[in-house]
Amino acid sequence: MIEFERHILANGLKVIAHYDDSTPMVTTNLLYDTGSRDEDPEATGFAHLFEHLMFEGSDHVPVFDTPVMLAGGENNAFTNNDITNYYITLPANNLEIALWLESDRMVGLDLSEDRLKNQKSVVTEEFRQRYLNQPYGDLLLLLRPLAYKVHPYMWSAIGKDISHIEKAGSDRVRQFYQKHYTPSSAILSIAGSSKPEDVFRMAEKWFGDLPSSEKVVRLLPQEPPQKERREVTVYRDVPAAQLIMAFHTGGRESRDFYILDLLTDILSGCDSGRFPSLLVRKMELFSEADIYLSGEIDPGLVIFSGRLKNGTDIRKAEAAVINELNTLASEPVTAAELDKARNRYESIRLLSYLSASNKAFNLAFHELLGDANGINTEIERYMSVTAGEIIDSSSRTFTPENCNVIYYLPETK
Amino acid sequence: MKRLTVKEPPVIITPSAGDTVFPETARLSNGVPVYLLGKGAVDLLRIEFVFNAGQSMEKVHMAASTANAMLTEGTTKHDAVTINDLIDSTGAMLNHTAEKETASLVMITLSRKLEEVTALAEEVLFHPSFPETEFRMLIDKRVQSFLTSRQKTSVIGREEFYRALCGNDNPYGRVTKLDDYRALTTSATAEFHSLFYKPDNMYITVAGHDPEQALPVLEKYFSGYGTGTWHEPEIPRFVFETARPGRIFSEVSNSVQSAVRLGWKGITRDHPDYQGLQVASMILGGYFGSRLMRNIREEKGYTYGINSLVGAFHGIGYIVIITEVANGYREETIREIKKEINGLCMNEVSSDELNIVRNHFMGEIARMFDGPFNRAETIRSIIDYNCGHDYFSRFVDTVKTITPGKIKELFNTYFIVDNAFEIIAGAK
Repeated sequence: MIEFERHILANGLKVIAHYDDSTPMVTTNLLYDTGSRDEDPEATGFAHLFEHLMFEGSDHVPVFDTPVMLAGGENNAFTNNDITNYYITLPANNLEIALWLESDRMVGLDLSEDRLKNQKSVVTEEFRQRYLNQPYGDLLLLLRPLAYKVHPYMWSAIGKDISHIEKAGSDRVRQFYQKHYTPSSAILSIAGSSKPEDVFRMAEKWFGDLPSSEKVVRLLPQEPPQKERREVTVYRDVPAAQLIMAFHTGGRESRDFYILDLLTDILSGCDSGRFPSLLVRKMELFSEADIYLSGEIDPGLVIFSGRLKNGTDIRKAEAAVINELNTLASEPVTAAELDKARNRYESIRLLSYLSASNKAFNLAFHELLGDANGINTEIERYMSVTAGEIIDSSSRTFTPENCNVIYYLPETK
Repeated sequence: MKRLTVKEPPVIITPSAGDTVFPETARLSNGVPVYLLGKGAVDLLRIEFVFNAGQSMEKVHMAASTANAMLTEGTTKHDAVTINDLIDSTGAMLNHTAEKETASLVMITLSRKLEEVTALAEEVLFHPSFPETEFRMLIDKRVQSFLTSRQKTSVIGREEFYRALCGNDNPYGRVTKLDDYRALTTSATAEFHSLFYKPDNMYITVAGHDPEQALPVLEKYFSGYGTGTWHEPEIPRFVFETARPGRIFSEVSNSVQSAVRLGWKGITRDHPDYQGLQVASMILGGYFGSRLMRNIREEKGYTYGINSLVGAFHGIGYIVIITEVANGYREETIREIKKEINGLCMNEVSSDELNIVRNHFMGEIARMFDGPFNRAETIRSIIDYNCGHDYFSRFVDTVKTITPGKIKELFNTYFIVDNAFEIIAGAK
């Protein structure tokens, strides 16, 4: 049980505090309810560009990292399709430094032309390093526009096209900041050896006088049910083919999320899972075969990803995967498989609780979903999954018309 | 949006590294050392079995990593699928890797499954069967990822650097070729295992909630071999043929970025300058606000990241600056790196800059010792590199007392720009 207290400031900032005296450190996790799904289709990659700009200094902090390091801290951030998340871990007696820094960049970020120009260039290099200069690096960039035709999940956090970043003007950047970086769009979660009463007092001091503004109402076009199978074939300079099959499923709060999260663990969560045992070891079709949930808040994808053994026909490999998925729709998983997945869930969950920063993030994320206490009640949602639910969910999800396939093939030289 | 009131910034409290004391050592009745790291907040145990069985011990290339990877591919009692199923069913997480100096198996288990999982660990560590089918599948998979890695500029850059540093005739510098995979056999792998996966060649760390509870279980499963034979591991000695300084270019066709490494032969961990060099390297390129990050990422925008690193194997040390930049920026990047180094050779760092790095190190060390699982990893680095149990308390002293004059001297001694290897892997 992760005990926590919640305090909501007058300007709408939600503050969560979890006390853990087994560490001398404390983590402040500031989650902004904005991600790449909130971007204009003609100006994608902004949420992520913003994450970079947030380290470029603010009204009273010329260099963000300097006070963090002087305080013995470390910090970082990430952006995905749903959220932008910033965290600082530092000795608990320096907690106030982190709150000062976070409040200063929430209210007075430096958005000068120089800073913007430079980070546009850094993000372009990041795009090259992570997506273009890696074998198989562009797979997910290909999958999103195939699977989504309406919902902004059709682009990745890095953006639809790097030219959007290259063209990003300071007016648009300023608008994005004013719209999304507000107290009411944020959740501040603090875990570690700082007492909740101190946390709330300092949060009130540093965030209480930030003006409130109305929380942005999100009106996103929802993806209609997919009616027919989609496929795309690409040729790349890679040594082995990769097969991707992605199926639409429910959102983060749907029952299907928990059912399929447990099921994908049974299929490929560990070496004795069905896919490594059958598709890799027994049938020798793939050298790796993995299935996982994309995990977004709005309805997401369950993604099969397999690297083919050299010499395997990709259609034959695909047929074997379909056969396994069809089996799930008709035959129940065994009690032993369910038991194994539950034991593994218990260990993985406890392991994540060893770190105050993990707890801080998970509390913030559950608060975003509706209630930070989800961190405690979630276990029941996993443990209660039945074999019958897995059949039901599989038969609705793994259908031919719900499938998006990428054949990622080696160029023939 | 503006803040409604103006406030004084809070005062920063100088961070402390905290407790860096080396843990108590227990011993099994056959002499195997067991390091206990307690005070875990959750009911999990992390037990690591470390063997002096890294790449530095191998006669046949890749025998160390293959022997380690084959541990869970079948035992004399169970085939590969069954042994993995038995392990996974307990909910335990097993990780095994072979590194340069040592190889290990980590198990993280619920306390209530401790005995079951320990018995399985004993089985995979001491009774693997090295079946031919699984061996062939493993090699096929490795060949595939080897071929993929040929397109990664960062991998080629790393290989070329270590080859330049160590020469091609030892496990640290040797560059893997496709033929090496064909040459490796199950018998060579099994032989490596039988030589090095022995109680007289291992130690154990136990971290988590009430680690003492593991002692009787470990005694039961791991004391039955080689009673009284445990000895300090022997450290292999190699002859290193370091290349002459200069440009080494490797073509990786179609790459949009180039890996750039600028490096030197350095010093080993027992050298009196080793810890000071860590501080120097941090100033140059060890953190977000370092000289190199500020110039090459934050001012020029040439790269997503650039790092400076000081490290050492048994017998040879290195200093290296690592980055990936667009092909068109690489010459300019190398010029700017040299400019930053020259600046540090000419002028002493300010006390403000040195303070940032000092405090950052204190925070880093505190995090390395934060909680039993982190402490277990930290003490493994001390043991594996024979650094001495007081390594971190000495390091804290070095960081606190090193002067700007000494740092300048270190740059002039070790970062000589005309003597660097300049490794580039990328498009022509």
